[in-house]
Amino acid sequence: MRRFFPAIGTLFLLVGLLTAAPKEAGAQDARAFVGNLGNQAIQVLGPSVSPAQRVARFRQLFQDDFDVPGIGQFVLGRYWRTASPEEQQEFLRLFQEYIVQAYAARLGEYGGEPFRVLGSRPAGDETVVASQIDRPNAGRVLVDWYLTDRGGALKITDVYVGGVSMKVTQRDEFASVIQRNGGRVDALLAQLRQRIASVR
Amino acid sequence: MSLRRSSLFIVSLVALGLAAGCAAPGQTAASEEAFNDPLEDTNRAIFGVNQAIDRNVLVPAAKTYRTVLIPPMRQAFHDFMQNLNAPVVFANDVLQGQFGLAANTLGRIAINTTMGMGGMFDFATQFGIPYHSNDLGITLATWGIDEGPYLVLPVLGPSNPRDLIGQVGDGFADPGDQVAAAYHRIWASMARALASGLDERSRNIESLDDIERTSLDFYATIRSLYRQRRAALIRHEEQNLPNPTPIGASLGPSPATSYSVATVPRQHQVSAK
Repeated sequence: MRRFFPAIGTLFLLVGLLTAAPKEAGAQDARAFVGNLGNQAIQVLGPSVSPAQRVARFRQLFQDDFDVPGIGQFVLGRYWRTASPEEQQEFLRLFQEYIVQAYAARLGEYGGEPFRVLGSRPAGDETVVASQIDRPNAGRVLVDWYLTDRGGALKITDVYVGGVSMKVTQRDEFASVIQRNGGRVDALLAQLRQRIASVR
Repeated sequence: MSLRRSSLFIVSLVALGLAAGCAAPGQTAASEEAFNDPLEDTNRAIFGVNQAIDRNVLVPAAKTYRTVLIPPMRQAFHDFMQNLNAPVVFANDVLQGQFGLAANTLGRIAINTTMGMGGMFDFATQFGIPYHSNDLGITLATWGIDEGPYLVLPVLGPSNPRDLIGQVGDGFADPGDQVAAAYHRIWASMARALASGLDERSRNIESLDDIERTSLDFYATIRSLYRQRRAALIRHEEQNLPNPTPIGASLGPSPATSYSVATVPRQHQVSAK
């Protein structure tokens, strides 16, 4: 069985080269983007990086490579429309800082583990790059990266870990906070502000 | 056996009650529909109790377990428990018509029970047949049964009527539990459930702790994670990972080369171009 697969791989490579040359440039860029991100992530989140450094580097990475305004708008859900322009701006600022702090901590577990790009597929006007992280004692984790073109640059719009959307999880949590505070967006802003201050 | 029978009965009653509760008019505020969590107040209360039990009993026990046993021994125990549960996974693979996955599970049982010395060593994964989980809750979902409202069970945690019934049904079908019941050794089933829970918890101490520390609303985060994770398992995309792309293949022999054994649902296929 094992001997058989390299042969199939070669076949796929040939077919891929023959059929996919000009049109697939976008998908190829997307795969290269994610592969590069994997290497960056190991540097940002590796076990030798101090927590403060990790937050600073992750902030940079988040600002450069993620579609922060788009994600922020999605995450606030239907409350985005009811929020005032000032609240929207304030939310985007706080949300970014909150995500950087939360995920710098959450991703500490995954630092430095092998990261492999498996392939890509289109999803609407976005490109999904599938990748896999092999964790020594916990098996493999599938990570899907949703990418979109924002003014000529690729930006990440969502990350699925084991089939779970980080964007949707965040939206559900924020919606719950707002609902439990009588539908007031400023209650969420206050909690975010408090959380960010307490970590500093 | 009678314990399981009566618990199934209770579960059915609870499920019926819940279904009736949901159908009652006047409870259709938009907010409650969005999360499908009509029992949220009760759920949050049980969630709080579970957290206290978790902090004071489960996590200390899991930490002790990690201190006492060296990693290879824990891995062997984990593999053993997984192999013990494999017949149930196989039955559900078949019930879902996932025959590629069923063949994988059967092969894993054959290899790991013999070569792996009763399941203590997972040689099947090294041979290119990785583990996948499956349960009756997923089977019921593929048969079109709705998950129903979100539930937090005492000690057991996040669930819903469908997954709860699935859990009890899996217990009925489990050969190990059948044997235990036949010899009136219910405690053996309970000890096994406890041990497997300890093993599971010991593998997630840090990640769950990180999520709890960084969440604004831990309950809502867990609810969302549970729902999405179950939905992903029902889609079976992880187990049916397709052939590697040339990028993966060019790295030489890798575990990814072996995921193609099972059939691939077309809508989730990753483009190999």
